[in-house]
Amino acid sequence: MTMQTQHLIDSLAEGLTPVSLRAVERRIGTALALGMATSLVLVATTLGIRHDLMDALQGPVFWMKAFYVASLAALAGFASVRMARPDTAPPSWLWLVLIPVSVIAVLAGLQMGSAPPDAWPALWLGKSWKVCPFLVLGLSIPIFIALMRTLRKLAPTRLRATGALAGVTAGAAAALVYCLHCPESTAGFLLVWYSGGISLAGLIGAALGPRLLRW
Amino acid sequence: MLAALAGDARSYHEMLNEAVPLLRVYFRRRLGPAGEDIEDLVQETLIAIHTRRETYDGIRPFTAWMFALARYKLIDLLRRGRAEVSFDGLEEILSGCDFESAAMARMDVDALLASLPAKQARAIRDTKLKGLSVAEAAAHEGLSVADVKVSVHRGLKQLALRLKGK
Repeated sequence: MTMQTQHLIDSLAEGLTPVSLRAVERRIGTALALGMATSLVLVATTLGIRHDLMDALQGPVFWMKAFYVASLAALAGFASVRMARPDTAPPSWLWLVLIPVSVIAVLAGLQMGSAPPDAWPALWLGKSWKVCPFLVLGLSIPIFIALMRTLRKLAPTRLRATGALAGVTAGAAAALVYCLHCPESTAGFLLVWYSGGISLAGLIGAALGPRLLRW
Repeated sequence: MLAALAGDARSYHEMLNEAVPLLRVYFRRRLGPAGEDIEDLVQETLIAIHTRRETYDGIRPFTAWMFALARYKLIDLLRRGRAEVSFDGLEEILSGCDFESAAMARMDVDALLASLPAKQARAIRDTKLKGLSVAEAAAHEGLSVADVKVSVHRGLKQLALRLKGK
């Protein structure tokens, strides 16, 4: 063994501090919470919280939206935790995202079936389709930055996949915050424009992953 | 490594020392015996083991985790274009060699067997590693043949669950 390597080992062992086996989960959780708190402040100060929020909390529509994006955020978040370890592949249970997506697709179909055809465009486009995906994307920025900074210090080895999952996590978490502002109420709108914004965040994450996550 | 994560500097020191020859062989197999980057890569991997030790989950084999870090460092080096390798051999460079599985087996079998009840571990060691027959193992341990068979069966089942990360 060369002297240099031996020195390195000595100095590494010297300053050893204990670490927790659950540190990865905790770090990513903290990053997610900090990012979402920032997005929340952004929504409250720039877009504004919807005035009828208290009424909305009583009805099912708000919770349909919240559960949809929260389930996506949870799945992508747990997958990101896995990707932070070097010896893992994207988890096989990722197909579970199809469940919330299909539930919302079925609901969208049912709403279409019970509405007259001339109301269909409103079901899919609402009033804010032009801005919704971009607002979700914008709100995902602080969350995305927090996640990427944390992941970089861990040990992802599949940088593109990790970036994509971090992007989807950030997008879905941002969409959850955006629910506090957005007055749209149809499943079709949720399916297309919310998912659109989340996917956009995922694509950007995949594009930036190899550059931002390198260690 | 678990002791090291808990902050035991002495076992950590020992573990890093044991890792060095494994890493050196790992990189030498892939870059050739004269690769001048080998010692750099070994040191970089040691640093990665240290700074990223939180990402070891304590359940899956430690060596798999360590070689995943080593592989990342190797690919990173190749991408930076510092080491020259021919494309013909690339597949072989990046896919594992027998050496890794042998090294992993040697280091991890002991750790895994230590997690089993002593009787099961001894039964597996006798019949599966030392190559004794069930009857010989039974005579050796002073147990009945059925007892040895059951111990081996239960022990292996337990190990299979552990390897799947349950």
